[in-house]
Amino acid sequence: MNGLEVVSMTDLLTAVSLMFIVMGPLLLIANRFDLPTVPFFVLAGLPLGFVIDLDLTLELAQYGIALLVFSFGIGIDVSAVRTVIVDSEIAALGQILVVGTLGALLGIAFGVAPTEALFLGVAAALSSTIVGTALLNSRPNNNFVRDRLSRSIHFVQDLLAVLFLLLLAAGTIAPGPLATVVGYGVALLVAAILINQYLFDLIGRLAGDSSELMILGVVSLLVLFVGAAELAGISIAVGAFAAGLAVRHDPVEYLGLFNGLKSIEDFFVAIFFVTIGALVTVPFIELGWIPSVEKLVLAGGLVLLTAVVKPAVTTAILIYQGYEARSATLTSLNTDQVSEFALIIAIEALLLGYLTQNVFDVIIFAAAVTMVTSSLTQRYDEQLYRALAERGLVDSRHGKVDDWSTAPAEMSGHVIIVGYGRQGQRLVETCEELGQPYVVIENDPARRETVTDQCAAVVVGDAMERYTWEKANVEEARIIVSTAASDVVSRRILSFEFDTDVTLRANSRTTAMELLDAGALYVTHPKILAGQRLVQQIQALIDGDLTPAELREEQQSELDTLAEHLPPHLR
Amino acid sequence: MVTEAALSVDFAVILLSATLAGFVAKQTGQPTIIAYILAGIVIGPAVPGLFEIGELTELLSDLGLAFLLFLLGIKMRLDDIQHILSPIVKIALPQMAAVFLVGMGVALALPPFGLLEAFLIGLAVMYSSTAVVIKMLNDKDEATSLHGKIDVGVLLVQDIVVVIILAVLAAGRPDDLAQVATTLVVVLVLVALITVAAIVASRTALPVIFRRIADNKEVFFLVSISWAFLFVFVSANIDLFLAPLGITAYLSIEMGAFLAGLAIAQLPYSKELQDRVNPLTDLFIMVFFVSVALDLEASQLFAHTTEAIIAALVLIPAKFLIFFYLLDWQGFGSETTFLGSITMIQVSEFGIIVAAAGVQGGFIEPEVLGFMTLLAIFTMAVSVYFIEFSHQLFERFEPTITRVTSSGTFEGGKQEYQDHAVIVGYDDVTKNALPLLDEHYDDVVVIDRTVDHIEALEEEGYDAIYGDSRNTTIRKNAAIKKAAFVLSSSVEPAVNKALLRDAGESTTVFAEAERVEHARDLYDSGAHCVIMTPYFAADRFAAYLRAYLEEEPVLEEAIDEDIELLESPEPFPNTYERLGGGLDD
Repeated sequence: MNGLEVVSMTDLLTAVSLMFIVMGPLLLIANRFDLPTVPFFVLAGLPLGFVIDLDLTLELAQYGIALLVFSFGIGIDVSAVRTVIVDSEIAALGQILVVGTLGALLGIAFGVAPTEALFLGVAAALSSTIVGTALLNSRPNNNFVRDRLSRSIHFVQDLLAVLFLLLLAAGTIAPGPLATVVGYGVALLVAAILINQYLFDLIGRLAGDSSELMILGVVSLLVLFVGAAELAGISIAVGAFAAGLAVRHDPVEYLGLFNGLKSIEDFFVAIFFVTIGALVTVPFIELGWIPSVEKLVLAGGLVLLTAVVKPAVTTAILIYQGYEARSATLTSLNTDQVSEFALIIAIEALLLGYLTQNVFDVIIFAAAVTMVTSSLTQRYDEQLYRALAERGLVDSRHGKVDDWSTAPAEMSGHVIIVGYGRQGQRLVETCEELGQPYVVIENDPARRETVTDQCAAVVVGDAMERYTWEKANVEEARIIVSTAASDVVSRRILSFEFDTDVTLRANSRTTAMELLDAGALYVTHPKILAGQRLVQQIQALIDGDLTPAELREEQQSELDTLAEHLPPHLR
Repeated sequence: MVTEAALSVDFAVILLSATLAGFVAKQTGQPTIIAYILAGIVIGPAVPGLFEIGELTELLSDLGLAFLLFLLGIKMRLDDIQHILSPIVKIALPQMAAVFLVGMGVALALPPFGLLEAFLIGLAVMYSSTAVVIKMLNDKDEATSLHGKIDVGVLLVQDIVVVIILAVLAAGRPDDLAQVATTLVVVLVLVALITVAAIVASRTALPVIFRRIADNKEVFFLVSISWAFLFVFVSANIDLFLAPLGITAYLSIEMGAFLAGLAIAQLPYSKELQDRVNPLTDLFIMVFFVSVALDLEASQLFAHTTEAIIAALVLIPAKFLIFFYLLDWQGFGSETTFLGSITMIQVSEFGIIVAAAGVQGGFIEPEVLGFMTLLAIFTMAVSVYFIEFSHQLFERFEPTITRVTSSGTFEGGKQEYQDHAVIVGYDDVTKNALPLLDEHYDDVVVIDRTVDHIEALEEEGYDAIYGDSRNTTIRKNAAIKKAAFVLSSSVEPAVNKALLRDAGESTTVFAEAERVEHARDLYDSGAHCVIMTPYFAADRFAAYLRAYLEEEPVLEEAIDEDIELLESPEPFPNTYERLGGGLDD
């Protein structure tokens, strides 16, 4: 340590300071307009490319990559993997083949070497988990069909990205080297699973209540795995992914650890994305006119492919799978961007020399642009769908609705129940107890078998479509009871102006009031109902009618009764 | 063309050895700082030539100190420290003078050191270790206690002095006293200017900016860091900014980071930020402690081992007594005086830096630097144990301590919650219970992550804490342990279990869950009532449907009541008396 260090900054510290200083105001802009942060990180990097020495920050950026993939590994839910794999949804990944091929062809058409065109294909085909899930999580209620679908599509794409990163290390498609890297990859995964099973809880026990030591222990594990990957000559991202699997754990016991890792991740990932931006050769400034225009045109092609062709292909495949048009369209609008994994692949390929600066820049531009456009298409997704549907661009395929529905044609005096979740199921029970005829409207093909098994009459279709209501013979119905938590669906049901009593469900007081004004007989707002109950319970405690221990006993036995009546999938 | 950057071996070795040492220390009940420093000695001087320290390690070590001071700044609410400013200055300046004399005297008495060396050693031992003291205070959650605030204040005054001394040393041998004086004035003016800038920002721009971003966790965190780096950058490059004016001056990056934090501390969002910055600080400061001894050679480090031990044995009690006398003189109570003094008995890492600057400036030999390093490490190590067990020591010696101290009257403790109600998350479920709880409990504290909610709540006179209940600091601030009643609107099992772990034995806990298995788990962990909104709503909905189908007249009443409830003004329905729920009767 030399004395002057205190008074003069090292170059690296200057570089990192500048990164954060430039990033700050841009993040304010992103936040102001509710846009994803990644493009703004990249934007912050562009001017910094001129002033900072990238050899310095590249190592920090590598830690950013490692932490990004690491947290993906931590977040993997093994049971989710199983459902995705058995689910027909995996077929939706056919879009990867189609769009990937188109991407590669686009590159070749522009005179890019076939090996490099491959990376363009990858960029077009893979969608962003960060942007996608951040947008998903920003919605209050995210258990809709399309959310589940988008999640599993993103998930499988991310897994493929890790696999691609692994294979990248082989640098060839010859079976020998490929087998070697796959071997290393498998070895890391096995080590990770063993650590997760046997070592992780031991680390937790030894760290005791110290989050500091737990974080150190886990970061050490990450560094060990990354080091092992580097020694084996495969991508550090694969090592980081394995490390994530090794640490994967229910956050209940290690809240401090997972919160802490998030801070560390945010810090280094920001540096990674800014470094990406700094690596870009800025058109028109660092490049002449002609190459600049060429580059932007190619990037534009990639954007078009990702933001227009990809959602179109995905929608088509999903509709073919039996999803109704709206879910399919809305799902696709969640996958219309280039993935941050594509950025990781691009930077690794650039560093390994598989990618020229030109194609690298194209991928980064397309990623930044599509991440912004994607957040816009999501914001206006319902409107986009309506516009497409009205122009007949998405076909609603009534044939499927007819095939799958079991509601008899001449029904009357029946109750129409929308949605077969917890509430829907209770309502069906009630009708059955009273001998009241009913029809259930459900739009999730994954629930189709359960609904058909358990309910006397079902229409498998979207409550947004008039045809679905015709199938349910709405004009003869006694009452419509919608349990759909979507305000869009509620408004739509009222807008049909059926000559039937309608009760709806709302997520907020304001929507509830609005729906009542618009003619609903009754609107449930689950939280207000639960609030009523809560006040009664607290009042009983305060008045001394119940001791806390008695309340607890009463509540537990109520829970047991409840659990007995529930089918397993709703517990 | 950039080439693939291999990850540095040095960082990996530092991380792994510190982790290993840390876990060993945890098992044997030793503080982690000791483990980190020892790890540094083992992988550095003890096994020479193991590796070179790379830029990354240096960066993280620098960031460690900067983040530590930033974190400290975030905790300093001016309202809380204003009343102790004057005693702090009155303690810090005489303290440094006295310790300087003791240090110089000891050095003169030891054979290897001449007058110049002794003078520099005196200058180097005046400060207590920011890194050790703040880390220990943070770990023990005492940074905002009265003695913690005094210590932190004194450390900051020392920091200003060290910056000045470093600036003078960096300029080489000064020509005359006038030059020293100029440097002094310039540095003081700069610190004052940046402080004013920080405070003005915290009153004008920052509240507007942070209010906008507070609800976005990632942006909130990164913009705060960006703000810190702005100050770090300006402080570190102040000489470049001032060069055109013909002024030479230096500021430490720690000073900049501290002031950046100070500006944020005055905002209501600072507590949330503490928990976000803490993990990064822990990681970086570890690197700092490991690298304290790392790049010395064994021969330099151990050249004056005996002397270092003797000096330490003199300085530790001397520092304690000087602080003890001064704190007592300023009228602090006996416990505060004792705890405040016992914390400050070590020699600072700045001592090493001052010595290093001395070597650089050609004033002393590297062996003296080795001596200073060893002295710092030794006193830090000893002090850590004293700080760790300070409360036990006080209890053990309380009669003696009370006898020698004058009766202190200085007030400064913060008021604490007791038998209060805590509401975690303000939403359509929990808001109904607010007026009822307010009527029954003296204090109702609401933790929430939405700025609008916090503002509305504060307007209504509730105590509101802005932050995420996943964070320990936030939960501690609401004093969950001492609460009589906790109501959580979170459906996340992890959050609810953390609350249940924190809750005291007599706390009644209400939580929410979405699934039956989660509810079971919460009851097993001690919850008294688990609200399951979707199931409850389903029951109620089914009851309404049954009433409708059987054409019961009571339905209309129930519906009217529900609608009335919906219409009641937000956000504080004073209607809980009416929340009957028609169909239950």
